[in-house]
Amino acid sequence: MKATEKPLLSRSIIAGVAVAGAIWSGEVKAEGSDLRVFDWSGYEDSGFFQPYMDKHGSAPSYAFFGSEEEAYTKLRSGFSSDLAHPCIGVTRKWADAGLIKPLDTTKIKNWDQLLPTIKTVSGVAFDGKTWMMPFDWGNSGLIYRTDKVDAEKISLDLVTGPEFEGKVAIPDIVTSAYAMASLAIGLRDWTNMTDAQFKEASAYLRKLHKNVRFYWSDPGQLDQALASGEIVAGWGWNQTELNLLANKTPATMMKDVDKGVATWVCGYVHLANGTMSDEQVYDMLNALSDVNSGKYIIEAWGYAHANADAYGKVDPALVKSYGFDNAEVFLKESLLTSALDPKTEAKMTKEFERIKAGF
Amino acid sequence: MAISLRSDSAKGYALSMPAVVYVGFLVAVPLALMVAHSFWTQDYIDINRELTLENYRQAVDDPLIRLLLIRSVVIAGLVTGLTVLLAYPIAYFIAFKTQKKALWLILVTIPFWSSYLLRVFAWKLILGYNGVLNSGLLTVGLIDEPLSFILYNPNAVVLTLAHAWAPFAILPIYVSLQKIDPSLLEAATDLGNTAIERFLRVTLPLSIPGVIAASLIIFIPTVGDYVTPALVGGADGKMIANLIQVQFGAANDWPMGATLSIMAILVVAFVAAVFVISLRSAGRRIR
Repeated sequence: MKATEKPLLSRSIIAGVAVAGAIWSGEVKAEGSDLRVFDWSGYEDSGFFQPYMDKHGSAPSYAFFGSEEEAYTKLRSGFSSDLAHPCIGVTRKWADAGLIKPLDTTKIKNWDQLLPTIKTVSGVAFDGKTWMMPFDWGNSGLIYRTDKVDAEKISLDLVTGPEFEGKVAIPDIVTSAYAMASLAIGLRDWTNMTDAQFKEASAYLRKLHKNVRFYWSDPGQLDQALASGEIVAGWGWNQTELNLLANKTPATMMKDVDKGVATWVCGYVHLANGTMSDEQVYDMLNALSDVNSGKYIIEAWGYAHANADAYGKVDPALVKSYGFDNAEVFLKESLLTSALDPKTEAKMTKEFERIKAGF
Repeated sequence: MAISLRSDSAKGYALSMPAVVYVGFLVAVPLALMVAHSFWTQDYIDINRELTLENYRQAVDDPLIRLLLIRSVVIAGLVTGLTVLLAYPIAYFIAFKTQKKALWLILVTIPFWSSYLLRVFAWKLILGYNGVLNSGLLTVGLIDEPLSFILYNPNAVVLTLAHAWAPFAILPIYVSLQKIDPSLLEAATDLGNTAIERFLRVTLPLSIPGVIAASLIIFIPTVGDYVTPALVGGADGKMIANLIQVQFGAANDWPMGATLSIMAILVVAFVAAVFVISLRSAGRRIR
C-alpha cells in the first residue's frame, strides 16, 4: 500500500513496461514468413490461403487473440501486426483509435466476386471508405430442441413464457443479447436504435431473465446444456447447431428471418502499424477471398464465406443444409451485428449488467 | 566492526534486490497506475487525465455495485467460516491424535496437485444437471428428475471455494496447535478441568492466531475471486470481480474498473481489520 503514497512513476517507465510486454507476447508466434496476422485461433489453417503459400512458399506468422477486447487492448499497447481479423462490430472503434487504415479495393482482385450486400455493410465500409475485407460470416439465432419445443410455435416471445422457466441460456455478451432483444421487438436494423426501442429491448431481456438458467461464456457450455436437456432453447452461433447435429441431438436454429435471426460478419483489416509491403498484404487478402478458400471454409468449417462464387463450388445439398442457399436475401433480411454508436453501446453494457443481476 | 556492519547491510540489500525489483515492478507500479486510473475518466477511446472523484461518486450511488460488494463479502465470509470449521478438527487430529503427521500433511495438500481451474470444473461436473450428484440420486431413486438448484447459485460458489481453499486453513491452524505446550493441558487436567473445559480454556484460545491467519488467507483472496463465480455462480452468484472484469473488457472503462478494484480493497481491509480485532479480544476474554 506504500506505493500509493509515492508520486506516480514517470510515463517513460510505464511505456517501457508496455513495450516490453508487447515484445514478449510477440515472440509467441508460429513459424512462417514475415507477414504477420493477428487472428482468432484456428484461422492459421492453410486451406484458407493456399494461393499465398504457392506464391511465397510459407504461411504468414500468426499471433492469436481470444476476444476482440483483448485484441484491442494489445494493439493499443503497441503490439504490431500487418493484418487482423475482427468482426464488423468493432471496426469503427479500431479506426477511431487509429489502429487500422482503409483498404484499396482495386488491389483486391476478387472484390467483384464478393456478395454485394456484405461489401457495403456498416463496419466493412463507413465514412466513404472500405476498412475491412469481409471473409467469413454466419448466423446467431435461437437454437432449440425440436423434440421439446414445437417448431410451429417457436418464437423469441415464446421463450419468455412461464413454461420456459430455467430452460433458456443466452450469451454473456452484451451485443449478442441486445441483437436478440432487438429482433424480439421487431427491429432488424439496430444502428439507429431510438431511446424508446432501447427501453423496449431492455424490458424484453428483463422478462427473459426470469427464464435464463445461465448466461453462457463459452459456446461449449451452451452445447452441453442443450444436449443434456438442462435447457431447451438458447441463443448461439451456427457452430452449436452443427455440434448438436453431429451429436445426434434433435435441435435446430430458428433461421426464419421473419421470426428473427442475426448475422455476424468478420474479415481482415490492414493495421496502421504494419511493416510489410502492400504487395504481400494484398497477396494474402487475395488468397483469403479466393473462391477455393470459400469452398474450403464452407465444407470444412460450416461457416459462410464472402465470395459469392464459392457456393456454386460446393454440393448444393450441403449449402442448403447450412442455410446458405440464398445468401443475399438472408444478409438483407437478418439483423447485422454491425457497429453501434459508442454511446448506445456503453448504455447497453451498463444496462445488461443490471439485467443480469436482477435489477 | 563498522566495516563488517556495512558489508552486512550491503549483503542484505544485495539479497533483497531481486524481491524489491520484482515487487516494485509487478506490484507497486501496477497499484500506483490503478490508483491513478481510479481518479481519471474514460472518454470513448482516450483516457481523460483530469483528476476527478466522479467514478467514486457513481460507484457509491450505484445499488448494483453495493449489492455485489456486499454479496462478495458475504460469500467470502461464509467460505471462510465453513472452511475454518471443517479444517479445525482435521488440524486438531493431525496435531494431537496421530503419529503419522507427515503422511497426513501430504494427504491434505493433495487437492493442490491439480490446478485450481480443474477443481472448479470438477465441481461443475459434480453439481451439473447430468452431473455425478444428480445421476447418483436418480439411480438410487431419491429424485425423479435432475435437481437444477444445486448449480449456478451462490451456494455452489461457497461449496467450490471452501473445497479449493481447505488446505490453506488446515496448515496454519495445525502449526498453532502444534506449538501448544502439553504441560499446559496437563495442568488444566490436574486443576480439575474436563476435556471440554480444557479445550475451551486452553487449546482454543492458544490456537486463535492460527485461526486468524487461516481466515485472512482465505477471506482476502476469495472476496476477489473471479473464476469460480463465473463458472458455477450463474446470474445470482456473480461477485464484484466479475463486474471489474466487464469494466476492463466489454465496457472498456478502465478508470471505473480501477475504482471498483480500489473499493474492493478498502472493503476487504476494513472487514479484515474488524475481524482480527474482535477475534483477538474474544480470545483474550476466554482466557
